[in-house]
Amino acid sequence: MKTELQNYYSAVFDQEWPSWLAGILLAIIALMIFLWQSPWGVAAGYNNWGDWVFHLAGAGAYKERPLVSWLHPVSLSNAGILSGAFVSALMARQFKIHPAPKLEYVKGLVGGILMGTGAAMAKGCNVGGFYSAVAMMSAGGFAMMIGLFAGAWVGLRYLLWEMEHLPGQTVHSEPKDKKKSKSFDWKKIQPYIGVLVVLGVIIAFYVYAFLNKTQLGGWLFFGFLIGMVMHRSRFCFVRAFRDPFMTGEATMVKAVVISIIIYFAGSSVIKWSYLQEPSMGVYHPFVLGSLIGGFIFGIGMLLAGGCATSTLWRVGEGQTKLMVNLVSFALSDSLASKFLVTSGLDKKLGQDIFLPDVLTWQITIPFMLVFFLTWVLVAMWNEKTEKFVIF
Amino acid sequence: MDLENIQPKSVLDTRGLTCPMPLLKTKKALKEMVSGEILEILGTDPGSKKDIPDFGNKGGNQFIGMQDSSEGYTRYFIKKG
Repeated sequence: MKTELQNYYSAVFDQEWPSWLAGILLAIIALMIFLWQSPWGVAAGYNNWGDWVFHLAGAGAYKERPLVSWLHPVSLSNAGILSGAFVSALMARQFKIHPAPKLEYVKGLVGGILMGTGAAMAKGCNVGGFYSAVAMMSAGGFAMMIGLFAGAWVGLRYLLWEMEHLPGQTVHSEPKDKKKSKSFDWKKIQPYIGVLVVLGVIIAFYVYAFLNKTQLGGWLFFGFLIGMVMHRSRFCFVRAFRDPFMTGEATMVKAVVISIIIYFAGSSVIKWSYLQEPSMGVYHPFVLGSLIGGFIFGIGMLLAGGCATSTLWRVGEGQTKLMVNLVSFALSDSLASKFLVTSGLDKKLGQDIFLPDVLTWQITIPFMLVFFLTWVLVAMWNEKTEKFVIF
Repeated sequence: MDLENIQPKSVLDTRGLTCPMPLLKTKKALKEMVSGEILEILGTDPGSKKDIPDFGNKGGNQFIGMQDSSEGYTRYFIKKG
């Protein structure tokens, strides 16, 4: 009995989950969020955090008080992703503060600035602007996808240049002295801290429900599940765009496509039957905003080594480079959004288009399937032939 | 294979670097080696524990094994094919 339980524990918390499984789970959670209130996004939460920093610093354009972060749905689901990844790392006894060389912090910083700017232009990151956007059948999602590919290609070119021309830096951890090994063993108690955090999230949900804010509590909880799933599987949208150019690997493309097809199938049922407003989640500026925003975001995510979601779960496992990235993403997203709105530029970046309005439902559905299956087939062909691999 | 007494041709230090740098550097280092030589990689990125073995078995190369050191990093060994 005990060994059986240990095996289950290891299967769930120690061993890495296959990415296709994570893709399926992610789509199911995203659909639950859609039914719960509105489609899943991430950047709006970063934006809220950035707004608060500038508001508290007394910046002129930020006189108006932003929505309190614990009453902001996306900010809450982001906090959920962070804590979910934190718990997942604790349960696997993997949580550790990872220092990085100086150049990596600079890349995290610059990457965050680009990601924030790109997400502001596209009105969403790789999740709200691409993953949810295509599943909601918003034309902007496809434009952002093209931008992300182009940006990933440019970003990878930079990384290759850096490897050839800048001196490599590494961080050497000091060898542990004998005194240290006698001291308290953090690794052993990590799972217990993890259980405490889980209890905290559950209690928070009940507190929200008690205060008649159950919907907000749900965002925290769904975010928590996403953080667990993503950390356990190391699910990473960046890889779907980068790996075809880098190693030719198609694993993450397959996982993302499985996920999008399930998410999209569910969302068509929900929208076509009017369970939710059909135009819900369709607000992306087609074509300029999504396309250029995606391109800038794509370069940034390569420099940072994380997108909006994988930055959150990597922070949750203790990676300091991504902590820098999170802060600069939040600040630049807030600034760029403010600039686009006050200058009126956001009106010129394009308009939201709901595909079934233009193509009809009868054509949108087969179009979506053919489009994403083609992506997988090309990626699989590239895995064999390495035609797109640039290095 | 006995990882303790292995004689790598070269050692690649990626400690402190995160995804995708360890993998990129591994790919580059392998390109500069001759068939049969062994590359040792030092790394601290948790993601490398899956990435490097997967990649090490691609393109005719062979992933030999990995070992956690007492100093908190992991050693990986790949034989160039």
